[in-house]
Amino acid sequence: MSAFQILAFAVAAFAADAAAQAPAMANDTASGTGLPPPSEMQPVMDRQIFTHAISNQLEGRANGSNTEFRWEGQGWAGTDYDELWIKSEGTVSNGAVDDGQQQFLYSRAVTTYFDLQGGLRSDIDSRPTRNWAALGIQGLAPYFFDLEVTGFVSGEGHLAAKLEASYDLLLTQRLILQPQVELNVYSKADPARLVGSGFSDIDTGLRLRYELSRKFIPYIGVVYEGKFGQTANFARATGERTGDVRFAFGVRLWF
Amino acid sequence: MNPFVSPLALTRRRFLQGAAPAGVSTLLQWSLRGALAAPASVLSGTEFALAIEEVPLTINGRQASATGVNGQVPAPILSWREGDTVSLAVTNRLSEPSSIHWHGVRTPAPMDGVPGLSFRSIMPGETFVYRFLVKQSGTYWYHSHSMFQEQTGLYGAIVIQPRSGYAQAFDRDYVVLLSDWSFEQPETIVSNLKFQSDYYNYGQRTLGTFVEDAQRRGLAETVADRLEWGSMRMSPTDILDVSGATYTYLLNGQPPGANWTALFRPGERVRLRFINGSSMSIFDVRIDGLPMTVVQADGNDIVPVTVDAFRISAAETYDVIVQPGPDRAYTIFAQSEDRTGYARGTLAPRAGMDAPIPSMDPRPMRTMTDMGMGGMEHGSMSGMNMDPGSMPGTEHSSRPGMSHGSMPGMQMDHGRMAAMKASPEAKQLQGSVGVDNVAMLPTERLNRAGEGFPPGRRVLTYADLRALKPGNDPRPPSHEITLHLTGNMERFIWGFDGKKFSESGPIELKRGDRVRFVLINDTMMEHPIHLHGLWSELENGHGEYRPYKHTINVKPGEKLSYLVTADAPGRWAYHCHLLYHMETGMFREVHVA
Amino acid sequence: MITRLFRSLVMGLLPIALIACMNSPPTAVQSSAAVPLGIDLGGSGQVTASPSPRLPADAMTVKGEAASSEHGGGMQMAHAGHNDAHGTGTVNSVDPAKHKVNLSHQPIPEIGWPAMTMDFPVSLSVDLKAITPGTRVNFTIEQQPGGMYEIKAIAPAGGGR
Repeated sequence: MSAFQILAFAVAAFAADAAAQAPAMANDTASGTGLPPPSEMQPVMDRQIFTHAISNQLEGRANGSNTEFRWEGQGWAGTDYDELWIKSEGTVSNGAVDDGQQQFLYSRAVTTYFDLQGGLRSDIDSRPTRNWAALGIQGLAPYFFDLEVTGFVSGEGHLAAKLEASYDLLLTQRLILQPQVELNVYSKADPARLVGSGFSDIDTGLRLRYELSRKFIPYIGVVYEGKFGQTANFARATGERTGDVRFAFGVRLWF
Repeated sequence: MNPFVSPLALTRRRFLQGAAPAGVSTLLQWSLRGALAAPASVLSGTEFALAIEEVPLTINGRQASATGVNGQVPAPILSWREGDTVSLAVTNRLSEPSSIHWHGVRTPAPMDGVPGLSFRSIMPGETFVYRFLVKQSGTYWYHSHSMFQEQTGLYGAIVIQPRSGYAQAFDRDYVVLLSDWSFEQPETIVSNLKFQSDYYNYGQRTLGTFVEDAQRRGLAETVADRLEWGSMRMSPTDILDVSGATYTYLLNGQPPGANWTALFRPGERVRLRFINGSSMSIFDVRIDGLPMTVVQADGNDIVPVTVDAFRISAAETYDVIVQPGPDRAYTIFAQSEDRTGYARGTLAPRAGMDAPIPSMDPRPMRTMTDMGMGGMEHGSMSGMNMDPGSMPGTEHSSRPGMSHGSMPGMQMDHGRMAAMKASPEAKQLQGSVGVDNVAMLPTERLNRAGEGFPPGRRVLTYADLRALKPGNDPRPPSHEITLHLTGNMERFIWGFDGKKFSESGPIELKRGDRVRFVLINDTMMEHPIHLHGLWSELENGHGEYRPYKHTINVKPGEKLSYLVTADAPGRWAYHCHLLYHMETGMFREVHVA
Repeated sequence: MITRLFRSLVMGLLPIALIACMNSPPTAVQSSAAVPLGIDLGGSGQVTASPSPRLPADAMTVKGEAASSEHGGGMQMAHAGHNDAHGTGTVNSVDPAKHKVNLSHQPIPEIGWPAMTMDFPVSLSVDLKAITPGTRVNFTIEQQPGGMYEIKAIAPAGGGR
């Protein structure tokens, strides 16, 4: 089953589920006061659709020799229970786009703090594109850790997984220190994408942000891009570094 | 910017004399409308024409577009007489549907003004004529029940004169309508809260407060406290969802700097009709130097109680009588519960005088009692030393660092708590999308005013409210309806029993039923719960002299009950009166067939 | 080179931070001649007897008088401090600076309290010199306005451990 078929299934499931959520309460019985029943106007509209997007990382990363540009953002639209999500990340370095991962997901609120998400992941960048089916959870773990854990299956049956976690430490009301980590695992090597099997790469950073306003937040930080195992071998073979510490500066925006 | 208005002392005799003029009387020229922040005028009589329209509003020099009535924010004071039949032709000149609900006034169901339950709404361009017999007296208010128009300015006071006179004498009479104003669009405020529920909370715990707490109480205890709250994914600094970070608090539509003034002659008795017409704010009111005698709550007479301060939640009203003796000014001080701002007015013998504005009290913190952990043995809560804010000698200032949950020596027996089995209904609620907490040991604490009051101040509590006359219906309730007030702060979803309005059906009552409502607040925020159309007789220990209220503020982790006689047929709204809670699901229909 | 970048960035961010820190309060426009004045709705007029014939005779007897006197229910003072209760317990710690003690005490049935360990503020007129950690004490607490219980009297209990 191709990844696109999986995506189509997810979207259809969303549509069916949203339709099933139509209010069950009878709105058409007479009030008993002798007047005609009110129309479909509801006293409160508690099934509104909200749209939000955030750039968790929108930064330049500089080490001694060159500067890359990195983005990692998420956007979603939907109601309290059902949302459609887009997640995108990638790095622009030496004119080429690397480490591109885009996800198109249907998200369903399942517990107090966690959503179940499923859909499609497309690795779109300067290297060959790969498509995966995605399934994972996202939410707020105890002790206020933001957590995303997603598993992937490719059309050829290869598996992958991704873990993202971060924590906001308030130094003052507006100055916030955020450790963050992203970890990727693959079951099979993909040499065309310089990805090896097993634990593949880690992208972690410590960012200090200042909330000028809640929605426009400049930050600086230190990031470490590391490659392990077979991925490290691929990197070395092409002359790339396997562990890179960079200074980051960027802006966090959301609406 | 602020207008000069000569106060025409419209004495009661003039109102009661003969026919009031049909139509409208205003104190400001219509040509000044919009250019100035106009104080509310007073409309009296039995025929009223109200026009809902967009009104330019200037607050502290900044302009905005508000939703006004007859060109004014707040809307004009409506003065009715008990026993009259009033007729109000309301014209909607907005480009969206509107409505007006007469809060606390018992009208026939079609006149109650709730879109979808009472009627369809007043569509743009339409005029809807409300017409009903006024069968009660006291201080009430009116506001839109459509979308967020209550937040953008559609609120005003109602004063109903008693047919057979007042129980206490007074010489002057002023409406004090408290409200909250934001220059942000209400839709933006809700969207912000949906993304980040602590968007407006700039009083959060930080590394700084951690260090302070550790210095004061030791590192181990501070760490344990942070872990306790962290494991629940809650913050004890959540007091109000929308704060002074975006709100300017208004008193009769005036910001604190405008110095709204009520005049008196020294020695006179002045009646102040406090109305909380805000959307999301709870105020702690006091007048330094002047004790207040509370004589009415929610429009109904109570045995007078003298206090230094009271907490008034959204939609509640308290009528107080003060008797300023000396020839000096007094500051009417209404600070928001989270201490992020205040509304202010002056009581003075002459215009232009003012009194010192007190500094705000320390910001309260939520406690484990608020989380529904009981604190100690269930039921034995009266008089407990539960207020961290009122421990004498402890420095608090405005640091949100104190968490009551781990006061030294206050050993909460968590072992015992863990052994407590959740009730079946609690088990069902836990973990669901709409619920982030279930109160395991809700407390009955009507005799406590709440967190945030320093020691030595006499503060009004619900236990102090004793009706002046016994209730109309001596029957005990035939059955009970228990509802949990629930919410998920992280997702900003609110509801009853874990469900939003759109996920539940109506509560059915039969005409003539005598029923007890039991409310258990599983959330860590106050909710002023308002039942349209029927009186809520709060069971506060005064037996048949229990107070008749229309809005009951349930404290976090609290359990209380009230009796209702379902004597008016119709589809009645029943909801939390914090506007953004109501609009995100905390609403039900009570259907009296 | 990184340090240079870092420095220049911090220097660039600093003024932004400073500007954001400065909290300019809303301008309070006030001219003494033009304060908005409240509309006096008038006096109560003659205060009449009870409007409802069902009333018990003793309530609502006010006739043009201040409400502070002869009411059926009497004037209630919120939280008048007249609730005394007695207990015994053991002192865990004393804080002379804040004039409070931490006690593990027995149940106090007068006010429905179970055995507990907790802090108590102590009335400033009470001398805490004889009260040391480990002492078994008898104490009297009184409810203050605001609801808190304060120790009015405390003394070592005779005998005991």
